[in-house]
Amino acid sequence: MAKHDHGHAAHGTPAHDAAHDHPTRSTFVTIFLVLGFLTVVEVFIPSVYNSPWNQNTKMLLLVTLASGKALLVALFFMHLKWETPWIRRIALMPAYMGLFAVLLMIETAFRPQLS
Amino acid sequence: MSSSHAIPASVPADDHVGKATGGKVAMWLFIAQDGFSFGGLLLAYGLLRIFADSWPAADLRPTDILGINLTAFATFVLICSSLTMVMAVDSAQKADRGGTIRWLLLTIVGGICFLSIQAWEYTHLVHAGIGFTNSTWNGQTINALFGSTFYVVTGFHGCHVTAGVIYLICILRGTLKGKYTQGGLTYSPVELVGLFWHFVDLVWILVFTFIYLL
Repeated sequence: MAKHDHGHAAHGTPAHDAAHDHPTRSTFVTIFLVLGFLTVVEVFIPSVYNSPWNQNTKMLLLVTLASGKALLVALFFMHLKWETPWIRRIALMPAYMGLFAVLLMIETAFRPQLS
Repeated sequence: MSSSHAIPASVPADDHVGKATGGKVAMWLFIAQDGFSFGGLLLAYGLLRIFADSWPAADLRPTDILGINLTAFATFVLICSSLTMVMAVDSAQKADRGGTIRWLLLTIVGGICFLSIQAWEYTHLVHAGIGFTNSTWNGQTINALFGSTFYVVTGFHGCHVTAGVIYLICILRGTLKGKYTQGGLTYSPVELVGLFWHFVDLVWILVFTFIYLL
């Protein structure tokens, strides 16, 4: 049986300790319920924050919730929480798109207005 | 064990990737590059929206046009399919053939359900005037980029769901033949399709927020 073998680090590596903390079915159901609850919260946010003056609050809340949900899926459903640091680094690579987004927003903010 | 040759219980431990199989490392690399594809599309969408005079029109918001409740239900269906997928991987790890088949079937049903909702939504939007290059809403011309970016981003994701469902059917076929529930590392293909499926779910969480809710 390979129950405790998949993708785990060898003894003596930093990820070895985490490998013992194996996910159970109850963990998956808990994460599913949290994701479902957060989705319900997300759906209500646009109707609560629908005035022009609180659009930034709406954006901040929605982006935070979406990031949190994505992190839960990656950590628990994709087992990233129990993977080695190298696998986590590979998984984190697309997150650098966020850095590009920030750089583009800064560039946009300081760009002279086109006539 | 029904196979004629011995199936290893695990691969030798590596200093960097632990006991992850080559297939698993390759799948993570694929997911990373695919994440860049989605990231690029969402970044382009964000920039087009920032530079637009109105999105989609002066007195309209995306939530006025797109069916939030229906899409929220589709999101919930995809989250449910993620749960059934993780249960399928767990069953395969435990060499439980019946459980793996049952959970994989439910995951496939979830994927088909999501695609059906998306097809219904596209049909409804096209009939309402939201096209790929030109869009109108209640007779009013709206920003054409709204429809273009919507169909490109959600369509690209829909292609991934379609590929995922086909991939799942292939893995189900192998499971029915008893290939992936013999213990040891035989469950690995189920784990790989699981990684892809969860990635598709993860991306949809972001697409739902950026395209529909914001």
